[in-house]
Amino acid sequence: MVCLTSRNTRRTTRFGASHVTLSVLITLALTASACGVPDPSGDREATGTDHILNCDIEVPVSDPPERIFAAYQPAIEMAHALGVGDRLVGTAYLDAEVLDEFTEAQQGRRYYETLPSREELLSVEPDFVLSGFNGAFTDENFGTRTSLREIGIHSWIFSPLCPSEDGAGDETIDPSTVTIEAVYEDLRDLGAVFGTEDAAEDVVADMRRTIGEVTEALEAGGDDVRHPSVMIGRPDSGGFRVAAGPDFSSEILSLAGGRNAFAHLDSKRNVNISTEELIERDPEHIFVDVCCDAGMTPADAADDVEAVLSNPALANVTAVAEGNVHEFTFANRSAGVRSATVVAGIAETIHPELFE
Amino acid sequence: MTTQSPSPVVAAAPPVWSRFRSWFTAAVQGQGLLSGTRSRSAGLLGTVLVLAATMLMSLLIGHERLTVDEVHAAYFAYTGSDTDLVVLHLRVPRTLVALAVGVSLGAAGVLVQGVTRNPLGGPGILGINAGASLATVLAISVLGVTAVLGYVWFAFAGAALAAVAVYAVGSTGGGGATPVKLALAGAAVTALLGSVTSAIILRDRASLDEYRFWVVGSLGGADGAMLAEASPFIAVGLVLAFALTRSLNALATGDDLARSLGVRLGRVRALGGVAVVLLAGTATAAAGPIGFVGLAVPHVARAIAGPDYRWILPWSAVLAPALLLVADVLGRVVARPEELQVGIVTALVGAPVFIYLIRRKRLAGL
Repeated sequence: MVCLTSRNTRRTTRFGASHVTLSVLITLALTASACGVPDPSGDREATGTDHILNCDIEVPVSDPPERIFAAYQPAIEMAHALGVGDRLVGTAYLDAEVLDEFTEAQQGRRYYETLPSREELLSVEPDFVLSGFNGAFTDENFGTRTSLREIGIHSWIFSPLCPSEDGAGDETIDPSTVTIEAVYEDLRDLGAVFGTEDAAEDVVADMRRTIGEVTEALEAGGDDVRHPSVMIGRPDSGGFRVAAGPDFSSEILSLAGGRNAFAHLDSKRNVNISTEELIERDPEHIFVDVCCDAGMTPADAADDVEAVLSNPALANVTAVAEGNVHEFTFANRSAGVRSATVVAGIAETIHPELFE
Repeated sequence: MTTQSPSPVVAAAPPVWSRFRSWFTAAVQGQGLLSGTRSRSAGLLGTVLVLAATMLMSLLIGHERLTVDEVHAAYFAYTGSDTDLVVLHLRVPRTLVALAVGVSLGAAGVLVQGVTRNPLGGPGILGINAGASLATVLAISVLGVTAVLGYVWFAFAGAALAAVAVYAVGSTGGGGATPVKLALAGAAVTALLGSVTSAIILRDRASLDEYRFWVVGSLGGADGAMLAEASPFIAVGLVLAFALTRSLNALATGDDLARSLGVRLGRVRALGGVAVVLLAGTATAAAGPIGFVGLAVPHVARAIAGPDYRWILPWSAVLAPALLLVADVLGRVVARPEELQVGIVTALVGAPVFIYLIRRKRLAGL
């Protein structure tokens, strides 16, 4: 009831510092959160307005941003994929090399190794901040999205990482939003926001085709196809830091015909586990996800792969015993435009018999 | 000091508790709970048994609870099962590293307090933790060292360099390396090294994860190779420490009196510094900077065994690993499925004890 009316409240005014708009937004946010289920992305077509909801915050579509700041690998790559690379006034925090097709486009861009301060962000005068993770809009970094909008800067968080409220972080992700469909919706919505709908449709079609081929291969294998348990993580602090239930890794693995060996850990995206816990879960494959440097490639995981393979305590773990410990990057487990090729790559690794 | 009649609250307390209180207060203020060689030896033997019990606990309690039979079987009926591997490659090395690190921290704390005659002294006060951490972070972020066996040596060198720097700064000016000047120099060097470390890790994201270990201290990465690498240094440090106990007793009477007793102050302080670097530097290299153990345990030892360093040292060397093992086992069970790093637990357990000791105030007279 209240939820429906609030969802349908779309306004065509620009978001300045207007108190009326602000109070409407606050009401909107309150009613939306009262409904419990955050609406990760908009149903613009249904309502015919010129705003899209992203993580419960309205983003206008009638006025394409010209000065975009992209924070984190997935955001930088998505901006290039949507063809707005030339509108990037700043980029920050790569976890690995950007995809080959964007290397050239990224080279001329201003780049920060870590997230810059809010002041530094404002100094490049962005009118839009696109973030691949929810950590950018906390008080320690850029400030909340609401606080940015008050000074005329709109923003976007990748939908599979929507925090339960503006300014919050990883601990409050709604697992029902951690899907590849949410990535497609983001692409389309951002295509609308940037005025590059065609590019968005192309990327979505490409990704759908790639994942469709994997799904077909798995289905062709019939009931014989086992879904092996897979760990994505790396040695850390004497134990391992693994991708847990709410991380996008779970979706990637299930699309690739596997399952996250640590799906049961549902409190955070990244969980530190002991070596004993790893032994107990006994994953059949381990993908070692090195991070974080703009020059990193899967080959940089070689040392950690060797450390896992030669750890005498892990000798009985199936992945170690069968030599199924693979080089991987943290960038590959993030939600974004590379997810489809990553799904295909993992599927070929864990189901080699289906892809000969 | 005139004493008024006790407040109603104290009067209402159970007699056992008030007796314990006065007993313990007397102990903290002076001669120790146990007097005489006989009771101190018996008590120490009892504490060794407690230590053995905590070691057994550390072997049995973890992600999975094991039985004594399973631990025994790992050595005498080895089949290569998961349990065997967990015992041989995780539980036993971890327990032994905890023992070695605990002994080192306990002994290093005694030496620092004895040499600097600073009741608030611990291995941290001489800049050793800060030096080890900075050297490690440099090794990881600048030189790209990733293997534990690689940066152990850097941590060790960093600890030694920091201690030498503190000693050098503390020795300048008239009067030589006085306790107060050493403590001040230690605080200054610690602050300097700490800020350099922060500057490096804030710039380098790749080394951040590995650095977390060097901020809080953890036994999770303990393995047999690490133990083998650390043991010789710790052994030498312990021998030195025990050789110095008589001199520390003399130092406690004051510089002038100690000198008149024939103690060569400079030499004792230098050897004490070397032993502290060996012990605390190696402990930090193996398990990261674990706080409070080296600070609080010597006071507990002093409260039990009295002011004689020939007793304080062995008591500390037995109590410290027991405390560390209890803290480590707690850390394994309280925050499942994650583990709480032992450095966090020792701070949680050690801080209240230490605050109590400070509130008793009669810690001086070192």
